[in-house]
Amino acid sequence: MTKAVSQVEKEDFEPYILVFCCNWCSYAGADLAGVSRFQYPPNVRIIRVMCSGRVDPAFVLRALKNRADGVLISGCHIGDCHYISGNEYTRDRFERLYNIIIKQLGVNEKRVKLEWVSASEGKRFAKVITDFTSEIKELGPLRK
Amino acid sequence: MKLITEINQKDNSEQSIEDSELYLDKIYEPNLRKLLSKCYQCVRCSGVCQLSKVQSFVPSVIIQRILEGSEDKVISSGVLWDCLTCNSCLQNCPEDINFADIVRNAKYKMKNYYKQNPEQFVAHKGIYTTISEILSEPYIQPNKNLDWVPKECKISDKGDILYFVGCIPYFKFEFQEVDPIPISSLKIMCQIENRPIVVLKDEVCCGHDLYWGLGNFEAFIKLAKKNYDLFEKSSVSTIITSCAEGYRTFKVEYPKLFEDFDKKFEVKHIIEYVYEKLKQGKVELKAPDESDINIQFTYHDPCRLSRFLPKSNNLLEKLREIFNILEGLGYSFKEMTHNKENALCCGVSSWMNCNTRSKALRYSRLLEAKEAGTTLVTSCPKCIMHLSCLQKDYDDLSSIEIKDFSEFLVNLIHVIDSENNGEVKS
Repeated sequence: MTKAVSQVEKEDFEPYILVFCCNWCSYAGADLAGVSRFQYPPNVRIIRVMCSGRVDPAFVLRALKNRADGVLISGCHIGDCHYISGNEYTRDRFERLYNIIIKQLGVNEKRVKLEWVSASEGKRFAKVITDFTSEIKELGPLRK
Repeated sequence: MKLITEINQKDNSEQSIEDSELYLDKIYEPNLRKLLSKCYQCVRCSGVCQLSKVQSFVPSVIIQRILEGSEDKVISSGVLWDCLTCNSCLQNCPEDINFADIVRNAKYKMKNYYKQNPEQFVAHKGIYTTISEILSEPYIQPNKNLDWVPKECKISDKGDILYFVGCIPYFKFEFQEVDPIPISSLKIMCQIENRPIVVLKDEVCCGHDLYWGLGNFEAFIKLAKKNYDLFEKSSVSTIITSCAEGYRTFKVEYPKLFEDFDKKFEVKHIIEYVYEKLKQGKVELKAPDESDINIQFTYHDPCRLSRFLPKSNNLLEKLREIFNILEGLGYSFKEMTHNKENALCCGVSSWMNCNTRSKALRYSRLLEAKEAGTTLVTSCPKCIMHLSCLQKDYDDLSSIEIKDFSEFLVNLIHVIDSENNGEVKS
């Protein structure tokens, strides 16, 4: 009985997910996913930034503070950055954010993620979003 | 199926709101004029204001305008966000008007009633204050990394003495200078104590920056409650910290919220702790090696340990006594031009207002330090971060070595007789 109830609750829960997409790769990838009609869950809100290097760690933390259940940062593959090395900065910064702050903060580490999606990977974008959403659904809401 | 917006609206229950209002009354005074009524405009505060040296900020005029009834204009102009809350004005005020306290109350008003956004004033895009705010939420249980604990130290999660680490593990994100502080503090304590020391994995921030910087009293109260519960759960009686801001918050602010905080827990700064052990004859200080003899050191008094403590607290005298002993042993200690209660500000407090103007304050502080000695000792992690951040920009200042008190003392301490009770708790 209780199991059934908790299962219903879990299915009932619609996570609020924030995605930062870089203008040149990931956002174009999201566009391609839309144009090609690949389905992905509607739980994500996409914020377009010119480069994933623009995403300050403070943005991620502020999103978590303001009720986001998950945050995904997405940029060009390493070496493909429109601004040559923007995503390398993101990678280093994210590593520090992940290891030093997120791991010690008590927020489940799975709630914050970094992914590389290029402009031609519409299908992959849909898959990344679907996987991430189902992962967050599994974890349940951050704000209990 | 519930809509996402519906889920978001599920906020605090009514009961917890009432509860936090009860606590809020203890630390929030909405009537600013009441706090200022004794002012007779001697204008000393404006004379000593450290911020007034680098920008137009005149405390006495602000006080006068509030007394004349234009509080609304003062608050809506947002000028009070600029105050460093260094408390130099209180130090020199003949009527003991606490201007920093007025700024603190006004910040709460500006944030909640005037809907002003302090974001533009917060340093590092608010990353550290956001961490504090996240930690204040009841559903968050931090999981701090304890890998830094030195191997020879025994720690536990229950016991008598607690070492409060504070936010230093998070500062590592951008500042590596503060890493050695908890390590050396814990080393000092381990050498002296035979029993394991409590270091909590799920300890939260003390809330100082939300209290003084952002005016977010609700989150501060939540953090205080969390800390209080944690301390109670681990059955500690003594809390030792190496952080100036944490010390002041536990010593002065928490007893305001919880009447029995003072009786239940004894809060000590690592300076006090070392001083007591010196007096009890449990430790002694080592004489310098030949390589140490030429080191001239000086001390930067953090505002939270000098001007912000009640006058009955003689922490700084205790510290000077330790330094006197060191001088007797052959080290050379020299005071800076501005010292003790008159010490200059490091330029930033509670992550607010890190800009070119406050940089000028830091520069003048480091120039004084350079005159006084080669090693600058202080006891506030924030001061260390701010001052060593400036060093990166100026080559002429980079020769000064900035150290925390515990870092400075860890190799100079020698334990004479450790307690051999035979009751070593596991």
